[in-house]
Amino acid sequence: MDTAKNRDFDLSANAGASNIQLMTMALDASNSGVIITDHTQPDNPIIYCNKAFENITGYSRKDIIGHNCRFLQAQDRNQKEREILARCIAEGEECRVEIRNYKKNGDLFWNELYMAPVKNEAGEVTHFIGIQNDVTWRKNAEHDLRQQKTVMEKKIRERTMALKDSEAFLSSIIETVREGLLVLDPDFNVLSANYHFLRTFKVSLEETVGRQLYDLGNHQWDIPKLRDLLIKILPTNNPVVDFEVEHDFPHIGRKLMLLNAYRVEFEGQFKDQILLAIEDITERREVENRKDDFLSIASHELRTPLTTIKGYVQLLERAMPENASQKFLSTFGKVSVYVERLNALIGELLDVSRIQSGNMELHVARFDFDAMIAEAVDGMRATVPTHNIMLKGQTGASVIADESHIAQVVTNLLSNAIKYAPDSKQIEVNIANVSEYVKVSVKDFGLGMSQEDRKKVFERFYRGVEIQKKFPGMGIGLYICDQIIKNHNGTLWVESEIGKGSVFSFTLPKAGKEQHG
Amino acid sequence: MDKKKILICDDDEGIIDVLEMIMEEVGHEVMSVNDSLKVQEVIDKVQPDLLILDLWMPRLSGQDVLRYLRSHPQHDKLPVIVISASRDGEQIANAAGADQFIAKPFDLGNIVESVDALLN
Ligand SMILES: Nc1ncnc2c1ncn2[C@@H]1O[C@H](COP(=O)(O)OP(=O)(O)O)[C@@H](O)[C@H]1O
Ligand SMILES: [Mg+2]
Repeated sequence: MDTAKNRDFDLSANAGASNIQLMTMALDASNSGVIITDHTQPDNPIIYCNKAFENITGYSRKDIIGHNCRFLQAQDRNQKEREILARCIAEGEECRVEIRNYKKNGDLFWNELYMAPVKNEAGEVTHFIGIQNDVTWRKNAEHDLRQQKTVMEKKIRERTMALKDSEAFLSSIIETVREGLLVLDPDFNVLSANYHFLRTFKVSLEETVGRQLYDLGNHQWDIPKLRDLLIKILPTNNPVVDFEVEHDFPHIGRKLMLLNAYRVEFEGQFKDQILLAIEDITERREVENRKDDFLSIASHELRTPLTTIKGYVQLLERAMPENASQKFLSTFGKVSVYVERLNALIGELLDVSRIQSGNMELHVARFDFDAMIAEAVDGMRATVPTHNIMLKGQTGASVIADESHIAQVVTNLLSNAIKYAPDSKQIEVNIANVSEYVKVSVKDFGLGMSQEDRKKVFERFYRGVEIQKKFPGMGIGLYICDQIIKNHNGTLWVESEIGKGSVFSFTLPKAGKEQHG
Repeated sequence: MDKKKILICDDDEGIIDVLEMIMEEVGHEVMSVNDSLKVQEVIDKVQPDLLILDLWMPRLSGQDVLRYLRSHPQHDKLPVIVISASRDGEQIANAAGADQFIAKPFDLGNIVESVDALLN
């Protein structure tokens, strides 16, 4: 590049020297950088620059004059603004571009450049005037804005994806569960139904989605109680739990359906939705009932021949000749014992099945607690003369409970005490008042049990580790006792030490004073 | 004690046999019916002094028999002992108006005592 000659420019031959000076001062006072290039010279060199141009670019006048203004672009030569600029200059037109320029120290600045041609009388372009403004600040702001916008857009994209994902996730769950599912909007219109629902009710998507729940089928869900519960879901967040509907449904006939409904929160359009799960429990219920029937029938059927056996044994006993041998008599006695044991086992089986199916019926009435205990103890004394059962204390209390169940617990604890204390004859039954409860303790001085056994003896089918080989049993007696006492709002527990014996105790709430009149 | 007429109604022949034997042994006159649908007819014919009645029978349950008896003035004083192997038998029997409930498997001594007590 040729070295610039520092010469004054001359716009008009007529311009007076003072005028030029005035104008130069005005230009130097401007905040915008101003340059003038000479189009008549090769490579269009800068022949004038004002103070502001020096300030903006950081270059001094001597670095500027004579150069083509492209030096401002440093190595950043591929901007499309440059082409616009070049074309305008070539064609002698004005133009406005924003272009990246670089200060002397290398800092980027955004130059808002306005270039206007100056023409002579013949219409030929002689000069260009360039006005520059440093718009870096604005550009940065714009850039930040754009950046923010892209970040935002990215976030929105991601969010939408996530939403789509979670929706896809949700619908994949909805499709896979083996339960009929409906998604309802707040007005109980069906938004979607899963495959299992359609299959259960033998309906199509078209006759389901978009319709109100209560209009489905033969208005099977239009039940005032259900409406009530569903209405409350969204405002109160209370789910509908295990609502049973027995109904003659179209296509599938009479069925028992179990309904559960929850509020689900989504983002976006349908914020609150209701997820309604419908399960056909017809068969399950039938099986349950049948199982319960089966066990009670079985136990009844087993007891009937047992009754006959017991009857014949007793008839034989009564017909026993005076001179019957001791052996003959004791054998008879043993038959009766085993008949009783079989009977007790049958009863326990039935009890377990009832507890498991939740069908343990309580026949609750007020009774004299002390009398009930005395009766149970007497009954035990009569059947087991080998042990000495002492009854201590009294409560004078009444209890409102199922007397036969409580008596069963006492009998059970006593027979365990006897069974698991074969070498000690003493058994103590204590009854007492403790606050608003009566308390019964059955104490033996027998085998006792380990800590591990203590923790588990109330579990179904659990039998002591050491004991199970030596004593017969099914391990359900204490389980039944525990369930019975729990059903009566009491507690049953054990204290025991190996080799010293065990104390089983339970409490029951006392009845309030009897109302007279 | 005079000879009394005892009617036994149970669908199980074994139980009928045992009860017949014990009642005869203690000197009563015994009749039995194993079809509860016929019990009404038999009662009218033989006019028993006491009925031993099973609860769980096919066709007509002991509960229904008892209800029928208690709602007819000519029978509502007839002493009835209900025998049953079901756990809630006692509640059902009491509610339907039985004089006495004895669980199966029963003790013959118990049956004899209860019969005597009700006949006096
Ligand atoms: N009085 C007791 N002394 C020692 N161990 C006992 C006593 N009562 C119960 N157990 C233990 O608790 C277990 C469970 O008792 P239970 O449920 O009555 O079933 P089972 O007597 O048929 O084994 C018994 O197997 C035994 O190990
Ligand atoms: Mg036991």
